[in-house]
Amino acid sequence: MTEIDKFIPTKNITLFRSCLVSAEYPGVESSTKYVFDKLGVEYVIDRNQSCCTGLGHYYDIFDELSTAALAARNFHYAIKNDHKQYVPMCATCYAILKSSAKLLNEKDEVREKVNKAFRENGLEEFQYDKGDIDVKNDITHVVDVLYYLRDKIPEHKKRDISNLIIATHHGCHYCKVHYDDTLCGYRNPEIIDKICEVMDAPALKWYDHKPRHCGGGFRQRYANRELSLDATEDKFLSLHKENVDVLLVMCPNCQLQFDRYQQVLEDRTGDKHYFAILNIAQLVALYMGADPYKVLGIQTHTVNVEPLLEKLGIDYNPEEDTLHVRK
Amino acid sequence: MKRQEMVNESQDDLAHKVLKDIKAPADLGLLRCVQCGLCTSMCPASRHSEYDAREIIKRVLDNDETIIEDDIIWNCFYCYTCHSVCPVGNSVCEVNQILRQMAIDKDTGKKQIESFMSFADSYLEEGLGIIPKEHYNQLRTDYGKHWENLQENLDDVRNDLGLDSMYLLPEAKETVDKTLEAIGFKKRVKEVKDVRNRK
Amino acid sequence: MSENNRIGVFLCHCGGNISDYVDLDKVEEKLADNECVCSIKHHENLCSLEGRNIIKDQILRKDLDRVVISACSKITHGATFQKYIKPLNPYLFEMPNVREQCSWVTNNKEDATRKALSLVNSAIESVKYNESLKKIPTKVKNSVLVVGAGISGITAANSLAKQGMEVTLIEKRPAVGGAMIQVGKVFTPDKMSEDCAACLLNPVIHEMVHNEHITLLTNTVLEKSTRNSGNFDVILRKKPDFVDPEKCTSCGKCTQVCPSYAPDEWNEGLNDRKSIYKPFPQAVPSTYTLDSDSCIKCGACLNVCPTNAINLDAIDELIALTVGSVVIASGHQRFDTTKRPEYGHAFYEDVLSQMQLARLMGVNGPTHGHLTVPSTGKIPKRVVMIQCVGSRDQMPDGHKYCSKVCCMVALKNANLIRSHYPDTEIIICYTDIRTPGVYEKYYKYVQDNGIKLIRGRPGEIAREDGHMVVRIEDTLTRTKQEISTDLVVLSAALESSEGTMDAAKTLGVPLTEDNFVKEKHPKMQPVSTDIEGIFVCGTAQGPKDITDSIIQANTAATKISELVNGGLEVEPFIADINVKRCILCGKCIENCRYQALSLNNNSIRVGPIACTGCGDCIITCPKEAISILGQSDEKLEASIKGVLKDKSDDEQIIIAFLDDIGNVSANNMGINRVECPSSIRIINVPFVNRVKYRHIKYALTHGADGVFLGEYPDGPKHNEIRENVKVMKKHLEDDGINPERLLIHSVFIPYFRGLANQFKEFDEELKILDN
Repeated sequence: MTEIDKFIPTKNITLFRSCLVSAEYPGVESSTKYVFDKLGVEYVIDRNQSCCTGLGHYYDIFDELSTAALAARNFHYAIKNDHKQYVPMCATCYAILKSSAKLLNEKDEVREKVNKAFRENGLEEFQYDKGDIDVKNDITHVVDVLYYLRDKIPEHKKRDISNLIIATHHGCHYCKVHYDDTLCGYRNPEIIDKICEVMDAPALKWYDHKPRHCGGGFRQRYANRELSLDATEDKFLSLHKENVDVLLVMCPNCQLQFDRYQQVLEDRTGDKHYFAILNIAQLVALYMGADPYKVLGIQTHTVNVEPLLEKLGIDYNPEEDTLHVRK
Repeated sequence: MKRQEMVNESQDDLAHKVLKDIKAPADLGLLRCVQCGLCTSMCPASRHSEYDAREIIKRVLDNDETIIEDDIIWNCFYCYTCHSVCPVGNSVCEVNQILRQMAIDKDTGKKQIESFMSFADSYLEEGLGIIPKEHYNQLRTDYGKHWENLQENLDDVRNDLGLDSMYLLPEAKETVDKTLEAIGFKKRVKEVKDVRNRK
Repeated sequence: MSENNRIGVFLCHCGGNISDYVDLDKVEEKLADNECVCSIKHHENLCSLEGRNIIKDQILRKDLDRVVISACSKITHGATFQKYIKPLNPYLFEMPNVREQCSWVTNNKEDATRKALSLVNSAIESVKYNESLKKIPTKVKNSVLVVGAGISGITAANSLAKQGMEVTLIEKRPAVGGAMIQVGKVFTPDKMSEDCAACLLNPVIHEMVHNEHITLLTNTVLEKSTRNSGNFDVILRKKPDFVDPEKCTSCGKCTQVCPSYAPDEWNEGLNDRKSIYKPFPQAVPSTYTLDSDSCIKCGACLNVCPTNAINLDAIDELIALTVGSVVIASGHQRFDTTKRPEYGHAFYEDVLSQMQLARLMGVNGPTHGHLTVPSTGKIPKRVVMIQCVGSRDQMPDGHKYCSKVCCMVALKNANLIRSHYPDTEIIICYTDIRTPGVYEKYYKYVQDNGIKLIRGRPGEIAREDGHMVVRIEDTLTRTKQEISTDLVVLSAALESSEGTMDAAKTLGVPLTEDNFVKEKHPKMQPVSTDIEGIFVCGTAQGPKDITDSIIQANTAATKISELVNGGLEVEPFIADINVKRCILCGKCIENCRYQALSLNNNSIRVGPIACTGCGDCIITCPKEAISILGQSDEKLEASIKGVLKDKSDDEQIIIAFLDDIGNVSANNMGINRVECPSSIRIINVPFVNRVKYRHIKYALTHGADGVFLGEYPDGPKHNEIRENVKVMKKHLEDDGINPERLLIHSVFIPYFRGLANQFKEFDEELKILDN
């Protein structure tokens, strides 16, 4: 049992929206909401909130100061709305928000520069005071909340998922950036595994490259495609060896890498083995009885999730998916 | 044979420049590095390319400023594995980020990021990030027709999922725009684009 | 203090060292006005025998009751004059340091004379408060508790017993010998060979077993300890004797029938053992033991035991003991390698720790000394060893320190494999090989035997196609490699054992930041702890090898012997409790970091050896019931009064309260003839926090222009002292005194020039201060 040494909120939450979740896997957002509602978590979504800059930051387009200023702006709304607890669905949002709060708290000259820019441009309200946001306790990931409430998850069980071979893939930017704040280990991350355990669906204890990244690497996926896919292949082949049915992720960027590129990787390696890719919130929602299309949004996945539903004996209507091209 | 002349010890070598950067954490263990190579042996970029995490630090410590213009620094995945295991609390990943910003101060770095500028444009317009449009051709091949369908029908899909609009409120967009102007981001974007247009 | 003191003042010329710079006639002239001064004498060299006669003559002739000797430093001749003032009590004199702290550091004769007079006046006022004291003879009980029966504890016990001590040796585990008995082989660098550890250890164990002054208690831990008048009242908890050692004949029938299993600790979990078992064939005590955690109480063993030695209902036993000293020898444990999951120790059976490898190589191990790959049962073609697992690693759960022995352990095990299986290749992956001293020769010897080394810290271990793969960069050739291998061996860090941390907590001994037992001074006072009477040795103090552990164990025994056999007499400047005022609230007991105070028969007792006279308890006492003998508040105030007695209007005076380190530093100023402002008047105090606000306020309202506190910053109370000064500065402000007039500064013995500069700066600053 991991000792939880950070505050985990169940109310006053701003569910921090992620660009990749919004545009690529919106079912992660609806699944998270579905699960939070079942578990009685109180949250809001705020359309004042801008993107954390994460992807742009790691494309090196955003500099430290710009990212910090936009974070200060977002923090302002969260505090003003009395929903200061930021809970992102994306590992990079989580890390960027923490890094920005840390920078604003610890580096006086950065905070002063940001505040000065606000003051001189009629944006006084966005000014950030040292300590407005507590790096450790005010920013937690959705998986932290699910882990914290894990004992309540089985109360809402609607479907049996115990026959799955599950592998977990933990977002690097959840585990490794602010490793002191990571629950259930970061060298062998296990927080998703612990959530699976309560659903009687234990994940593989270990597989080669388990703590490794997805291979996306921000710019690398686009500017350095071969290098990126070489790196993804390591984990992809290891998952094949383990015969997994589903890979569970906690970050849309990882989801994209394994889901959108599965066909490319199969072609590249000549190695074929079906496995679905789901965000942990999607699997929990499925376990709680959520509709695969109307809540999980599996029609947005490149890799069909339907074979997984069949293995679980879940009825579905393929007509609800109008995006996939039928052969 | 490299001859090491005696010079006055100063604090303006590359390592200290990195340490003084606003991105560098106060307790960054850069100077404590003993070149054990743990970073390299866990690093995916080092595993699959000429990049060598340990050597990045070696060159910084050797005050080898050519590293800033060396394409090799653009191979790091920013996966933070090295950062999370370094026995002396160094972070090759964050040192790389600082080196890239130094490169962006010069033209070499600007060229590296120009194909991502649609992300900046999207942020300026909508306050949201996107997958960089410059790469859409390859993505359409890799992701297939399904992905194009998704892009075209995104609003309907979100609607079916019971989700609100993903876009920011109009007044929120305005303050994002003002913030970007105030903090100098727009100026930065223009500088990068100027380099692109000069070609 | 008596009303009419009869004080004699003796002014030493020190062969011109003083008289050339100080007008002693003028000093004498001024002193003649003082009613209490009944005799004033000069002499060329008071420390001579002639000087002794003069002093003695005056004491008898003038019926003196106190003496002031104006001469050199107390460190130089304090002991001499203590003898010279006989028949007076040796504590009834004061020695103003007019040489090092006046004549040698003041250029202007007039200033020096003025200062000398002020120092002598201070001594005259102060000596009035001196009391007749006696050195305190002490007796430390000659019984010792040794916690832990590994090589360190056994060595200490043997040495103590041979020096006449009664030793109780306790061991948490069922058998003695610690890590050394388990490790199988040890190497001796001069012979370039690996020797049998048990063969080296057994004579030492037998010496312990057969020594009638040593009581060995296994399965026993320290439960509680309280200080009582210098002794330790301890309570030991001995696990139930399910198997009566007196009756057990070691026939082994019980083990044969026992149906339940648990991982075998002796073999590092490589195999299982029964719940009733003998830890290993050569175990001492040679009796069977029962592990109640895994026992299912089926009773099968009861039926077969021929001597009825087994009692499943046995209960644990509490043993009370009073000892004079304690030795913590509770050793280390090895880093939990699951905290570095990338090395796969928990996932792959072909990944071993060095200790597991040692067990596999041990003739009394699970494979009877045959090294085989666990997954295949074959002799390994290649073994890769990984150094620094959990050592030299500041990441969470890691240890920043070097574990000191792992390089030698790896080399030893590599060489052992090499000598038994010449076809097995061995690669050691290292960051730095650390083989100091003669061990370097062993390292070269092992290299000659063909062991390979790769300079790099591996990142991860995987299993591919039925063998292990080690991912590493050879940093010397810049090649990233995946090394295929049959076996991987991890050199796990040594860390403080739970037993060590528990013992320290129970005994109230502080730990270092690495959780080892903290020594009083890591350089100068090894094996001693902050608590007088508690000592540490072996790996409980930090990672070290067998030889260093033995050296420390013998040192600890010697230090205890000093206390017990040395016929100690200690200086009487210790805490004194006023029983009329004391309300037995116990705050002083709690606060004393030396555990010098204890509650005994409704009164607070002060342990004379443990008490350092620091005076910390004075501050904590709500009833002002504590004083330090010979160091009363009034005496300190009198020395201030004396300093300021003949102050002229145009004169600036700074009172510098220096601790012992600062005082020596100030003496060095004199010895090196470094000029010091004549305004400085040094008053030596045992600890800076002995100076209360009342003293500072008294000084600044009675003519002193400034107060300087000189503190050696390495002391445990450093932060508290600095905080206290801040508070005192606030008080000064409230009392309308400029807080700038109080200054605290660090002092170091070699830093006397710095101290002189500090004095000068402060002197200058005060000159231009407004109020």
